[in-house]
Amino acid sequence: MADGNPPMDEGRIRWRRAGAMLAAAAAAGAVLVVLTAQGILAAQFAISGVPFTVTSTRLDGTGFEQFGFFDSMTPNSPNASNCLGAATANQGNCGGTVLVAVSAIKSATLSDLCQSVNLGGTNLKITAGGGGRPVQATTLVVDSDLLTGDATFNNIAIGQDASTFTEVPGVTGPPGDFGQQADSVTITNLRQDNFATTAAAFSLPGLTLTFSDTGC
Amino acid sequence: MMGRAWRAWSHWRRSRPFWGGLLVLVGAAEILVTEVVPLRVILHLGPEGIAGYLLPIVMLVCGFLLWFNPEQRLFYSILSVLLSLGTWVTSNLGGFILGMVLGVVGSSLAFGWQVPKRTTEKSVPH
Repeated sequence: MADGNPPMDEGRIRWRRAGAMLAAAAAAGAVLVVLTAQGILAAQFAISGVPFTVTSTRLDGTGFEQFGFFDSMTPNSPNASNCLGAATANQGNCGGTVLVAVSAIKSATLSDLCQSVNLGGTNLKITAGGGGRPVQATTLVVDSDLLTGDATFNNIAIGQDASTFTEVPGVTGPPGDFGQQADSVTITNLRQDNFATTAAAFSLPGLTLTFSDTGC
Repeated sequence: MMGRAWRAWSHWRRSRPFWGGLLVLVGAAEILVTEVVPLRVILHLGPEGIAGYLLPIVMLVCGFLLWFNPEQRLFYSILSVLLSLGTWVTSNLGGFILGMVLGVVGSSLAFGWQVPKRTTEKSVPH
């Protein structure tokens, strides 16, 4: 209290005043949730470091890049040796770095999107994009250690140096890195185990957010 | 001694929107936790990721300012209620709703906090 201001008198909460603010904020919050659920407003996900699963019956994207990359853990990371949460195929690659495939899509639509995060004991599950109203995403960049599905590419260039990629503005790999890029991509029955992701914007029509015993 | 310290603490607590500020702080921290805590992997943040951190950090600052500059609580509480709502869009759906709700409730409590008006005497003249 050495800030020079006169000491405040003791006060109390006026519940009617607080309640008015709360009601206004709750109304605004409800509008946000509804707008997001209708796909008008894009919600941003920045879940970093926690592995999560994404599935979709159909992904259509324009502007596609993919290249291998090593994600580094923080120095002396407690997870460096046990690789908690990494897919089985990656267990041998632990010890500070994890091999991932970086997939970047400039503009994507996904039908029947399901995203689940294992929180230990329960799963936070988000579904959206059903009923013919697909999820829209821009500059979608995911680091996956598992990606399965049936893919079709248009104008694909395989083996191009990842540092020279142009399909997704602002996303390139390190020089000398093997990669591929394509004008457009269609993947059906997509399933990704994403080890990490950078921020991406989604609009989520038909958003449902639940806690579930099973993931996607 | 203990009683004296407790009374001082109680006075400190009552002379500012303590619970409102606390809930805003906890909410902001929870949102940041959903974004950064596992920290198993160093990520490259694009410009889109900045707002995700900026909003809860400014919320955190608002929470502290509610405590240490309670005279301006009206401004801080309105700002932090808007920031809390904004994190729905920018930060993991408001820290998966929880942080957003804590921030909104905390801001409302701080907004509702008032010092009773003194009608008898204002200050003692020197």
